[in-house]
Amino acid sequence: MSVSDEKEKSIFRYLSEYDRRIIYFLLFIVVVGPLISPIAMPISVSPDSKQYYDVLRTLGSNDIVLTVLDTEFSGYMELQSGVIASTRMIIEKESKMAVAISHPEATIIPDILFGALKDLMDAHHYTYGDSYLVLGYIYQNEASVASSAEDFQGFVRQDWQGRPIKGTFLEQVRSWKDISLIVSHTTGILSGSVMNHFALRGTRMIVNCIGGMIPGQKTYLNTGILKAVLPAMRGGAELESLIGIRGLGTKAMDAFTLGHYMLIAFIIIGNIGYFGYARPRAQKARTGG
Amino acid sequence: MSAFFKSREVILTAAGLAFVATFVPYFVTIPELSVISTKLVTITALVNAFTLALAVHSQFMRGMYFVRRRSRGWILKAYMMVTIVLMVIFATMGQDKGPYNWVMLAIVNPLSSVNYGILAFYMASTCARAFRARNMKALLFLAAGFIVLFYQAPLTGSIFPGIEPVALYLTDTFAMAITRTFTMSVTLGAIIFGARVLMGKQPQVLGLGGE
Repeated sequence: MSVSDEKEKSIFRYLSEYDRRIIYFLLFIVVVGPLISPIAMPISVSPDSKQYYDVLRTLGSNDIVLTVLDTEFSGYMELQSGVIASTRMIIEKESKMAVAISHPEATIIPDILFGALKDLMDAHHYTYGDSYLVLGYIYQNEASVASSAEDFQGFVRQDWQGRPIKGTFLEQVRSWKDISLIVSHTTGILSGSVMNHFALRGTRMIVNCIGGMIPGQKTYLNTGILKAVLPAMRGGAELESLIGIRGLGTKAMDAFTLGHYMLIAFIIIGNIGYFGYARPRAQKARTGG
Repeated sequence: MSAFFKSREVILTAAGLAFVATFVPYFVTIPELSVISTKLVTITALVNAFTLALAVHSQFMRGMYFVRRRSRGWILKAYMMVTIVLMVIFATMGQDKGPYNWVMLAIVNPLSSVNYGILAFYMASTCARAFRARNMKALLFLAAGFIVLFYQAPLTGSIFPGIEPVALYLTDTFAMAITRTFTMSVTLGAIIFGARVLMGKQPQVLGLGGE
């Protein structure tokens, strides 16, 4: 065996057995780098995001939207661009909005959300009580969702700070029939229950979900139970693009794109290492050569 | 009297009636039954809310057991109980400001986000190491994965718009077929499980496990 063969084999061996911390380090660089210094790569808009956008565009000032924050705070990191862009559209349409929460960690999100949209809310005179209400952590389980769908007034009597909903726009909501649209921002905690008790009965429902949930949610989109699915952070960026703002999602797309390309590159490198070193070695071990 | 309410027949009859009261109104409009169904569901929701208190109680019972015996990790259990007590006290001071708000913003939410964010590193490493074209099936899987991964990167679609129909074909046919199969299997399993409960063949669910 020549010296060059030895060297070639050592390269394949390295590609097959490199330290995984190299992936961690490079992923850190390709994620943090573009966040610090954005490249502003162009993005395409998927049909799913366009459909989601079209549903929100149908809203009017007489509509009542139930926004469900069905996420832990961790999941919110992936969903937030879609959450902010969707809420922005609802405010621009001046629809009424009630925010329900299904995880204790999400109780902090409305403050962050409405804080980020304060200027827009002021411009549209979108005020607490008249235009929107935060109901707090009202969805602990499927029974609570079912109860709100069947007897909203019996189940919800006050907002998250104990102020009665009587006298607000929510007074006219008796059951699922009185909700114009449900916007579920979900990591899958109770979105299935919301779908069972609202959407399956006829309430229009759209979903902004994390990446791992997209294939599952699309089956319900395909059957018409859901009216649209916004695919995670990428969907959020696309929605931002459709409404003409450059928000958190758009800024994250550089890192998102580079991260995907890096992953593909490492899969290719791993396969070169596999065919150049690991596979021949395994075959040799099997045959005893 | 308590023996009567604990009897298998009474519990199964109550479960059966509750099932009929909540299931039938989905298909047949009977106003009286709908009222009963709505009330029953609301009562269930409220009773369920109290399970949070039960969960705290259970955690304390278990935590105290560890602390008393000085079992391995007892200090963590003690820490957990202290934080539960503190959060309950903080929550009574208001949730939109004060210590509860601070703990959520400064401790719980950053830790939760980090917990989620570091998954990307493990997933990237796992993908890079696991996806090998070991045979023809794996090669096809890898090819499909590449197309979908390239499509998922938003830049690709704007440079090569032709990738979109191919990626959507893969996700809307093969991926959706598998997802539907999975969903239907889970649903059928749930229906069968429910039927077994009502027939008394899953007694543990109704608290009849000891009989």
